[in-house]
Amino acid sequence: MQDAITAEYSGPPKLNYLNNGFTLKSWLLTKDHKRIAIMYLITVSLFFMAGGLYASAIRLELLTPASDLLQTGTYNKVFTQHGILMIFFFLIPSIPAVLGNFILPIMIGAKDLALPRINLLSLYIYWVGGAFTVWALLQGGVDTGWTFYTPYSTTFSNTYVMAVGLGIFINGFSSILTGLNFIVTVHTMRAPGMTWFRLPLFVWAQYATSLVMILGTPVIAITVLLLAIERFARVGIFDPTIGGDPILFQHMFWFYSHPAVYIMILPGMGVISELISNFSRKKIFGYEFIAFSSIAIAVFGFLVWGHHMFVSGQSVYAGLVFSFLTMVVAVPSAIKMFNWTATMYKGSISYDTPMLYGIGFMGLFLIGGLTGLFLGAIGLTVHLTDTYFVVAHFHYVMVGGQVIAYLGGIHYWWPKMTGKMYSEFWGKISAMLVFVGFNLTFFPQFILGYMGMPRRYSYPPEFQVLNIFSTAGASVLGVGLILPLIYLTQSLISGKAAGDNPWMLPGLEWRTSSPPPTENFDVMPVVTWEAYEFGEESGLDLEGARANESVRTV
Amino acid sequence: MSSHSETGKFHYHEPGLQHQFEDMGQQEESVSIGMWMFLVQEIMFFGGLFTAYLVFRSKYPMAFAAGSNHLDAFWGGLNTLVLIVSSLTMALTVYYAQKSNRNMQVIMILLTMAFGATFLGVKTIEYRDKFNHGLVPVQGWNKRIKAETNAEHETKPCWEVDHNAPAIEHPNPRGEFQWTDCSLVKKAQDEGYLTNAEKIGYFSNGEIDANKFRDKVRIFYYLYFVMTGLHALHMIVGLALMTWLLIVAWRGSFSEDYYMPVEMSGLYWHFVDIVWIFLFPLLYLLGRHFMHGG
Amino acid sequence: MQTNSWVPLFPEQASTFAWQVDLLYLYLIVISVAFTIPIVVAVFLFALKYREKEKFASGAEIHGSMVLEAGWSFLPFVISMTIFLGGAVVYYNQYKMPEDAMQVYVVGKQWMWKIQHETGQREINELHIPVNRKVKLTMTTEDALHDFSIPAFRTKADVVPGRYTYLWFEANKPGKYHLFCAEYCGLNHSGMGGYVYVMEQSDFDNWLEGNVSGQTPVEQGRDLFENKLGCASCHAGGPQQRGAKLEGIYGKDVHLVGGGTVTANDEYIRNSILNPGSQVVEGFQPIMPTFKGQVTEEQLVSLVAYIKSLSGITGSTSTSQPASNSAANSGSNARTNSNTMTPRRADRGQGNTPGSNPNAPGPANR
Repeated sequence: MQDAITAEYSGPPKLNYLNNGFTLKSWLLTKDHKRIAIMYLITVSLFFMAGGLYASAIRLELLTPASDLLQTGTYNKVFTQHGILMIFFFLIPSIPAVLGNFILPIMIGAKDLALPRINLLSLYIYWVGGAFTVWALLQGGVDTGWTFYTPYSTTFSNTYVMAVGLGIFINGFSSILTGLNFIVTVHTMRAPGMTWFRLPLFVWAQYATSLVMILGTPVIAITVLLLAIERFARVGIFDPTIGGDPILFQHMFWFYSHPAVYIMILPGMGVISELISNFSRKKIFGYEFIAFSSIAIAVFGFLVWGHHMFVSGQSVYAGLVFSFLTMVVAVPSAIKMFNWTATMYKGSISYDTPMLYGIGFMGLFLIGGLTGLFLGAIGLTVHLTDTYFVVAHFHYVMVGGQVIAYLGGIHYWWPKMTGKMYSEFWGKISAMLVFVGFNLTFFPQFILGYMGMPRRYSYPPEFQVLNIFSTAGASVLGVGLILPLIYLTQSLISGKAAGDNPWMLPGLEWRTSSPPPTENFDVMPVVTWEAYEFGEESGLDLEGARANESVRTV
Repeated sequence: MSSHSETGKFHYHEPGLQHQFEDMGQQEESVSIGMWMFLVQEIMFFGGLFTAYLVFRSKYPMAFAAGSNHLDAFWGGLNTLVLIVSSLTMALTVYYAQKSNRNMQVIMILLTMAFGATFLGVKTIEYRDKFNHGLVPVQGWNKRIKAETNAEHETKPCWEVDHNAPAIEHPNPRGEFQWTDCSLVKKAQDEGYLTNAEKIGYFSNGEIDANKFRDKVRIFYYLYFVMTGLHALHMIVGLALMTWLLIVAWRGSFSEDYYMPVEMSGLYWHFVDIVWIFLFPLLYLLGRHFMHGG
Repeated sequence: MQTNSWVPLFPEQASTFAWQVDLLYLYLIVISVAFTIPIVVAVFLFALKYREKEKFASGAEIHGSMVLEAGWSFLPFVISMTIFLGGAVVYYNQYKMPEDAMQVYVVGKQWMWKIQHETGQREINELHIPVNRKVKLTMTTEDALHDFSIPAFRTKADVVPGRYTYLWFEANKPGKYHLFCAEYCGLNHSGMGGYVYVMEQSDFDNWLEGNVSGQTPVEQGRDLFENKLGCASCHAGGPQQRGAKLEGIYGKDVHLVGGGTVTANDEYIRNSILNPGSQVVEGFQPIMPTFKGQVTEEQLVSLVAYIKSLSGITGSTSTSQPASNSAANSGSNARTNSNTMTPRRADRGQGNTPGSNPNAPGPANR
């Protein structure tokens, strides 16, 4: 049976999800999770490019202490919009809505997500929210910082806070519905034999992420709604002049936005678990520990929001409790780190592009995670908070973590998504450029932060040297990020056929054709092997593949 | 391959089975978990509002009591009753759907809709009342009354304004939020149970400041309108759901084999009821004892 | 600890608890390195040693190890607890307010720090304090959130509207240190900063008596304009500035809100500094605070001299005018209809009746 699935198919092109309809309608009204994922991929990439342009503007402006490229007002808008686009419209949907949407149902052997119409609705909500936000940005933008702190955002800003707030409010429901869909799908749509502890760790990570999405996103939704109402009605609970409480906004905002940080890293951790294990061709070390640490992070993530507010006037005791819990939440991440490292021990490691991203992630996330400890140690954070140390830390986690993992995931599943193989040479070059450029950009910012350079600021002249390093690094990073756009597009046109299972991996997604048919599997799969099973039980025809490989390489 | 397509064909004839599922059991489980997850996120959504309510109620209990006392507990109680009964009719709708009783289904859905509409009608009356009394917290959204009429209440200290007297029409040419009665503050001050926030929040230079107290009552009404407004919005969505159910039930599509949409709409309807069960005491009842013997 | 190297790594240590923060920082760096090196070495070793020997060969059958898992759950927990305790101790030292401190009052305002000493001296964007003496700041803000941050003292605190926040420190090294606003507060957030001057007690006493160094009036005026009074945060020019551009203004006619024109001469400039709301230039909001009581007559002279120098005019011609002209000034005030200036922010205020908004900026309540 296995042979029938994986054997090379010769004959007229097989019907797959890409070629079973070419009309616009067949895309816009599709209920196929794979097509929806592709549409997400395109939109998310556009937002990433827009956010990247803003980032370039920021780095260029910060070349010099004076505001000579951008005027202060423009600069404020640029960093705000960089944050809003990157966080709400790129990072949060990136791995869940693109990779999760595409691969999660296939990984568990389902024909589709449990609620395909909801999935399409979620895409449309994302588009509407995005369009709304882009419209507001084109009208004049917003200058409050992505955190929308009151009372500046409610009372003093003269920009399009209400419109952008509503855009984020709308977009939130896209995230909620995606999370809801994943939870239902993991519960009810697993193929026969796919028990909870045979699930790939990517699925566990997505499940944990979905919990955060469902429990956290509604809170930010109501918070930005209250913000928008307050701006519109000119009365509200955040206005200190009538007895309202601007700090309450911060509590409500971070109650979501701290867990949202885990929306922006857990899926990345899931991808890395896949990459490390699969490219070491070895069962992952401590499967249960990685799976449960994801859930632990999701749960504890809801208890630490106050560490964003150490200096905002909350009580000393609240600060201490939040600092303690922050230290606790560091432990599951450390467990993951150790398990990934141990997975490589006695593996059979191959260095394909996705694995390079995987190893890069480990290095960057290590720094990102450890600097998180700096920021959790309350006495130190008083000095560090609101400085570039924070900026560097969260970029290490979000870019070094999620974006690297996202790129790794894209490269990993690209053959499955498109049926085409990209240029391995350029893939490796770009992975290394991203790694080097990233460190050059953000490592100097740790030092700047400790020196006291505040975020969202121009700076005194003595900080210029490090800022020049940072900008120089950003240009390397920029090149590293543009390259994939080119060679991945090129692979669509002239890439060689990838085959159904180019790396001979045991996951269910590699046991269907590339690209997969509309209902994912020709035959309902029955799972008889554990996750990451590379031995006999996996039923993979390794000898045949090796023979094929030698033919191909000769 | 062949066995799969045969089973697929066999199941395809079940009414309402979607392509991605193997059988009705799987579909029902999925839809049910999905609905519960949706309700979980709804709880978190309203949770943010309840948190805001709790924060400000514990900060300014007298302002909240004053605002709350001005809401009409009769209308609120009536609405509570209406919603509880509508929950019963909703539950009966599910019951008759499971019994494949088309006529009773239609009747029960119509009854549920009638109760829902009654609720919204009462809510409209209440909102109108707030508009007339100048209690909408947004400037310009209140009834405008010319400044010449009836300005003698300006002369009394605010705690001597009699809250039992027939409502005085305060001049309100700009449609501003109106609140003059701060007898509760006076009472709390005399009996010594003002909170620390209140001692700062209602007073200027040691004197009760009617304007500052008004601002806190305004926060109460702001929360009242946001909370009940969002709840009413959920009721409207519920009525739209009911309309759709009515059409499908009228066609006789629901039966003991296929009643998930009815059950799920029922869950939603009950949830909206439960939110009201919390809103009613918090907004209408808490703090009544401060004024009515306590 | 200030190094003269090309790339500075540490800010100066200038307060009594700076060394504690630095020590904690170093401890964390040591821990980070202690974690990073083994992991990075392991990854590299494994990457080299376990490189695939044969295509698609599978790795060893290892599923996990309870002992290892328990170990590397427990160890990070213990270490993170030491970090927590270290952080808590340092934090406690920073937040236990001293009883015997010198009091300073700070008000944040878009975009300047207004500081007042117990002895009555006011400063803007500058804080002069004596060395080796505990200083406690009591802070609030007139508008948005701000954050009073002095990296050299390793401390900062948000400034929140509607409540007081506190900050204390004891500087132990004379010098001039950066003061930043670390909480984003709008357009000129970057400009909202200045310096903290830590002085020997005797110098501080001198400063309290108002002794000024020997600068020319124009230099003094520039110093006042750019640093001490923070005029530049609104008047430095540029299309988005909230205040009028002053380059080349001297001697020209300016159009006022509510009609009328005046010539921008010495007395107009002086009047605009002391009674900013009385003659507002067309196109601007009446939001400038009065500086009456904060600038001495000498400083006024310097400021006028500096503003004149912006128009290319040097030499002070009319230092003795102000007193004799104030009567004439008030006369012109009446003509230019000062009633049209309502103390309201453009985008706000309609929702509140007068009096309910104590923050409404304007000449009336400054």
